[in-house]
Amino acid sequence: MANQDKPKLKMAIYWGAGCGGCCVSVLDVHEKLFDVVAVADLVFWPIALDIKYKDVEAMADGFIDLTLFNGAVRNSENEHMARLLRQKSKILVAYGSCAHLGGIPGLANLTNKNELFNRIYLETESTLNPDGIIPKTHFNVTEGELELPEFFNDVRALNQVVDVDYYLPGCPPRTERLIEVFMAIVNKAELPPNGSVVGAWEKTLCDECKRKKTDNKVIRKFYRPWEIHDDGETCFLEQGVICMGPATRGGCGYRCIEGNAPCQGCYGPPADAPDPGAKMMSAIGTIIDSNLEIEIEEIVDAIVDPVGTFYRFSLPKAILRKKMSVPKPVN
Amino acid sequence: MEEIRIGVYICWCGTNIAKNVDVERVAAEAGKLQGVVVARDYKYMCSDPGQDLMVKDIQEMNLNRIVVAACSPRIHEITFRKALEKAGLNPYLFQMANIREQVSWVHDDREKATQKAIDLVTGAVKRVRWQEALNKRSVKVNPATLVIGGGIAGLTAAREIARTGRIVFLVEKEKSLGGMMKKINRTFPNLDEASKYLNPIIEEVSSHPHIQVYLNSQLVKLSGYVGNFIGTVNHKETQSELEFGNIIVATGLKPFKPTPLSNYAYKRLPNIITSVEFEEMLSKGYIRLDSRQEPKHVAIIHCVGSRNPDFLPYCSRTCCQTALKFANQIKDLLPKAHVYQIYADMRSMSKGCEEMYSKTAKRGVMFLMYDQKGKLPYIREAGKNEKTRLVIEMKELLSGEQVEVTADLVILMVGMEAQETSKQLSQVLGISRCSNNFYIEKHPKLDPVATTTDGVFIVGSCQAPKEISDSASQAKAAAARVLAMINKDWVEVEVITSSVREEICCGCQICVHVCPYGAIEFLKEKKVSCVNEVICKGCGTCASACPTGAIGSRHFTEKQILAQIEGVMLQLLEV
Repeated sequence: MANQDKPKLKMAIYWGAGCGGCCVSVLDVHEKLFDVVAVADLVFWPIALDIKYKDVEAMADGFIDLTLFNGAVRNSENEHMARLLRQKSKILVAYGSCAHLGGIPGLANLTNKNELFNRIYLETESTLNPDGIIPKTHFNVTEGELELPEFFNDVRALNQVVDVDYYLPGCPPRTERLIEVFMAIVNKAELPPNGSVVGAWEKTLCDECKRKKTDNKVIRKFYRPWEIHDDGETCFLEQGVICMGPATRGGCGYRCIEGNAPCQGCYGPPADAPDPGAKMMSAIGTIIDSNLEIEIEEIVDAIVDPVGTFYRFSLPKAILRKKMSVPKPVN
Repeated sequence: MEEIRIGVYICWCGTNIAKNVDVERVAAEAGKLQGVVVARDYKYMCSDPGQDLMVKDIQEMNLNRIVVAACSPRIHEITFRKALEKAGLNPYLFQMANIREQVSWVHDDREKATQKAIDLVTGAVKRVRWQEALNKRSVKVNPATLVIGGGIAGLTAAREIARTGRIVFLVEKEKSLGGMMKKINRTFPNLDEASKYLNPIIEEVSSHPHIQVYLNSQLVKLSGYVGNFIGTVNHKETQSELEFGNIIVATGLKPFKPTPLSNYAYKRLPNIITSVEFEEMLSKGYIRLDSRQEPKHVAIIHCVGSRNPDFLPYCSRTCCQTALKFANQIKDLLPKAHVYQIYADMRSMSKGCEEMYSKTAKRGVMFLMYDQKGKLPYIREAGKNEKTRLVIEMKELLSGEQVEVTADLVILMVGMEAQETSKQLSQVLGISRCSNNFYIEKHPKLDPVATTTDGVFIVGSCQAPKEISDSASQAKAAAARVLAMINKDWVEVEVITSSVREEICCGCQICVHVCPYGAIEFLKEKKVSCVNEVICKGCGTCASACPTGAIGSRHFTEKQILAQIEGVMLQLLEV
C-alpha cells in the first residue's frame, strides 16, 4: 500500500480526436487501478469523472502533475484543451498513436475539410440530407446562439500544437507499459530526457519477433495476409506480406504477430528514423526482385492502399504530410 | 554542443557566376541565416588569395563550419577541404553549393538564377550545421599490379612497373601480345617499322621474371578496394584468383566494320579494303589487287564511319596521319601509281604530322575534299570502256564540281570504336563509360589516367582513339601513379562509409543483399548486421534500405539530407 504521508500525484486523462481505446487501455489496469488511486488523484478524466472544463480552467498553472493526452488534434476544442492542459500540467504525455503521430484520424490529411464534409454529410450512400445541411460553428436558435468547435483542414499530432514531455506510443499502448511509466513517475525514478519516447523499446519489433528470418528477402509479389497460407513461422516479409515490424518500435507485447497478423506500425518509428513510412518504402524498394521498370510497377501496384499501409498511424508527422491537389485537366 | 559558427563564401568565378547571379545579394541573404557569422563574395575563391581569405576568417573568427558556393564539388571540393585542414579545421565540416554548373551556366534569367543560388546556399548552410568531423583512414597497399590488355599501352605500363622489381599480372584476351600495334606495318610520321619498337617490348615483357602473362584470358570478377583487390581471371577452362593493389586498364579499341555504309561497296565490289587490311598487305611487303597485278590508281577515302552521327560521332584521330603515311608508302613501293586522298577535313595533328602532310602533297598525291554532312562519295563498278575497275563519284567541295575518281584499289580509312567487351569489363571494374563506350577518366584535364574508382587507371585507346606515342605516355603516367602508391606503402580509404548502430539494428537482414560491394555481413550471435568499412564505398544503398535507421551513411546522414532539403525549400515553405 502506498505511503499515506506522500502527497498524492494529481493526474489527468483527456481525449482529443481518438476512438476511446486509449482510455479503455487505462481502465485495463483492472484491479491495479486501486494501486493507482492510492498514489494518485484523478483530477480530470471525462470518460469516468464528471469534472468540467471550467474546473480545469480554474486550476493553477502546473497544478496537474501528469496528464495523459490521447487522441489527435482535429478541431478547435482539441486544440483548446491541449493548450489548457499543457498550461496546467507539469508533465504532458502524448498517450497513444493519435497523440504521438496523428494516428488513424491523421489519414484524413489525404483530404480536407470540404471534401470530408461533402462526403459525410451529402454524398454517402446512406445519407439522407435533402436540405444539404452541413455543420457550422455558429447557429442561432430561439434560446440563443449555439457554438460548435471548428473542424480543421488537417489533423495534427499533439506536439504539432504544444510542447510534449514524453510519448507513450501504441494503438492503444500496452497497459503494462503504462504501469511501468506511471510507477517510474510516482517513484520519482530518473526520467529520460524530455521529448523521449517511453514505454517502448529502442529496437524494432523484428528484434523480438520469433518468426524465422533470413537474408532471403526478395519479393516478386505482394500479398495481403488472407492471400497466403501463413505457416505461422516464416517472416511475413519473406512471404510477401508487408509487415511494418522492421520500422516499428517493440514494446507492444508482440500481439499482432502472435495473432498471425503482420505489424501495422502503431508503436511508431525508432529514434532517428522519423518517417517510418519512407523508411519502409525504401526498404521494400530494395528487395523487389526485378530490374524491369514495367514489372516493378506491376509488383508495386499490387500494394493496396500504400499510404494506409506505410503511414497508418503516422501521416501527420511524416515528411509526406498531405495530398496536394493537382488541377484536373480540362476534358 | 559547441556553438555553430558558419562562414559562407560566394565565388564569382570571374564572370562565370557573377554574370548571371547577383553574388552580392546571395552573400547578403546568406548572412541573415542562422549560425552564419560571415558571408562574403570573392572573385576567385579557388585562387590562393581566395583560400587565404577563408583560412584567415576561420582562424580569426573561430569559424567551425564552411560553405563555399562556387563550381561543382567534383572540381574544387578537395581544394577547399585542404584549405580547411590548413586552417586547422576538419575537412568534412565543409559543404559546397554548386552555383555554376547548376545555376549560372544553365540559366539566363538573372533574377531567378540568383534566387536559385540563394536556395542552394540556404540548403548548404542548413546542412553544414549537422556535418561531423571525420577522420581519414589508411590501408596497406599490395605492391602487385594487374594490367589488362597486352597492346602497346599495357605492355609499356607492365614493363615500367616490373623494371622497379614489382610484380605485374598481364591479362590479354587474344592468343598473343602486341594488340593493334602488331597489325601496323610502319608508324607515322617517320615511316619507321612498328615491329622495331614493339618486338623488344614484347620480348622483355614475356621473359620478365616479375611479369606473369595470362594469354587468352579475361578478368571476370573483382572484389576489394584500392590497395587490396582480388580478381578472378578466366583462361580457357581454368580460373586463377589474383591479388593486387592497383589495376591499369589498357584494353584498346577495334576497327569499325564499314559494311553498313553501302555507298562504299565494301565486300560487295573487289579491291575495296580497309586501312587495317592494307596494313596487313604492307606487312607482307607488297601492294596488289585480287588479280595479283599492281594497282595504277589508288584512292584513299577518309572518315569511314568516323564523324558520322549514324556510326561514330567522334574523330578517330589517327586515320588522317595513317592515310598520309599510306600515300608515302604507296609512292615508295609504286612510284608511278596515282594516289588520291578523298578527305572530309585534313586533321594531321601531332608532332611532325603537318610536315608529313606538306611533304606528301609535294609527292604528286591528289587531295579531293568531300562534304561529310552532304552526300558521301559513292563507289560503283566501272563501265567496260573505263580504264579502271572502280569509279568513285563525288562532289569535290573546293572546286564545287561533281567528279569521278578512277581507282583500281580503294582503301577505306575506317574509324576506331570501343571494344565489344568494354561494357562488361566496365561493370566488373566499376568504372564509367561515355556514350561511345570508351572509359571515362576522373578528370579530362587534371586527372586523365585515373578513374572515379580509386586504384583503377585507364590508358591508351580504351579511353578514346590514340596514337602510339600518346598511349605510351599515358601508360608511363599510370605506371608512375601506381608506383607512387606502392612506394607510399599505404593508401587513404573512403571515410564516407556506412556503419551500423548495433543498439538499434533489429536483425531484419534487408541490408545484406542490397550492398553492391558485398560489404555487409549478418552476425548470427549478435543478431545484427555489420559493415566492413574498408570494402564499403559509401554509396548509401544500405542506409536507404535500412528500415530502422540503424545504418547511417557518414556525411550523408538523414539529418543532414533533410536539413538541406528544408533549406532549399525554405522559400517555398514560407509562401
